[in-house]
Amino acid sequence: MMESREIQSILPHRYPFLLVDRILELESGKKGVGIKNLTGGEWFFHGHPFYPHALLLESLAQVGGIVLGSKAREENPQGRVMGLFAGVSNFQFHRCAVMGEQVTLKVEVTQSLTSLYKFSAEAFVGEEKIAGGQILLSFGRSPFGGPSPS
Amino acid sequence: MERGESIKAAKLITADEYPLSGHFPGEPIMPGVLTLEGIAQSALILLAESLSRGRVSCFLDRVDRVKFKRALVPGDRVEFLVRLMKKEGGFWTFRGQARIKGEIAAEADVIFKVALQEVGFEL
Repeated sequence: MMESREIQSILPHRYPFLLVDRILELESGKKGVGIKNLTGGEWFFHGHPFYPHALLLESLAQVGGIVLGSKAREENPQGRVMGLFAGVSNFQFHRCAVMGEQVTLKVEVTQSLTSLYKFSAEAFVGEEKIAGGQILLSFGRSPFGGPSPS
Repeated sequence: MERGESIKAAKLITADEYPLSGHFPGEPIMPGVLTLEGIAQSALILLAESLSRGRVSCFLDRVDRVKFKRALVPGDRVEFLVRLMKKEGGFWTFRGQARIKGEIAAEADVIFKVALQEVGFEL
């Protein structure tokens, strides 16, 4: 299991755009399961109870970033690499998650080509699948200069 | 905007927009998913303006062929160009692009499920 502090050592994302709370299962380079809790106090709940679709996609992509980032860290602890969101295909939303729910984020690499990784990505609330499709991450050297944000 | 056909909308990107403070600290880049949201919201405006009357409820059902090609950064002015491609069984398919100075930064198909809640008619 991976807590927020360790997640932040892999992802450069920070508040208010760090959208995964905990990693429950991880096979680095292959797949991962993360969670995002929706408490109701977050900035995106403005007069409505829904977790926006776009942010759900970002949550899934961030779990993908951890799957790839943890692998890269095993191979080269000093290297500075990061994933960039490159695309989404055939992604279906069944319903929105709402405040008070815990979203389970499951991603698995299905295909990779040099620095491009295609994932199947699914979001669940309990046993209910609320969304799913394919996401594409481009993973390589961090475009950021200077010290790593972590 | 041409009702029932297409819309052109714009958004400016600036460094102190809230989500950019964490994406990423010291390196503000518009998150791709928010560019996608911009395309979807532009499509929603076109959708709402394309119905003559009656309340609609609509729902983002699916996104497809989404490609993020270039980062949007503070100082950019992004234009969303969205076209209604088809209406089929309550599903409206839009194809959108986000452009900066004519260059395509992102593109996406967004599909909404549309239901009329009150009596109305479509143009």
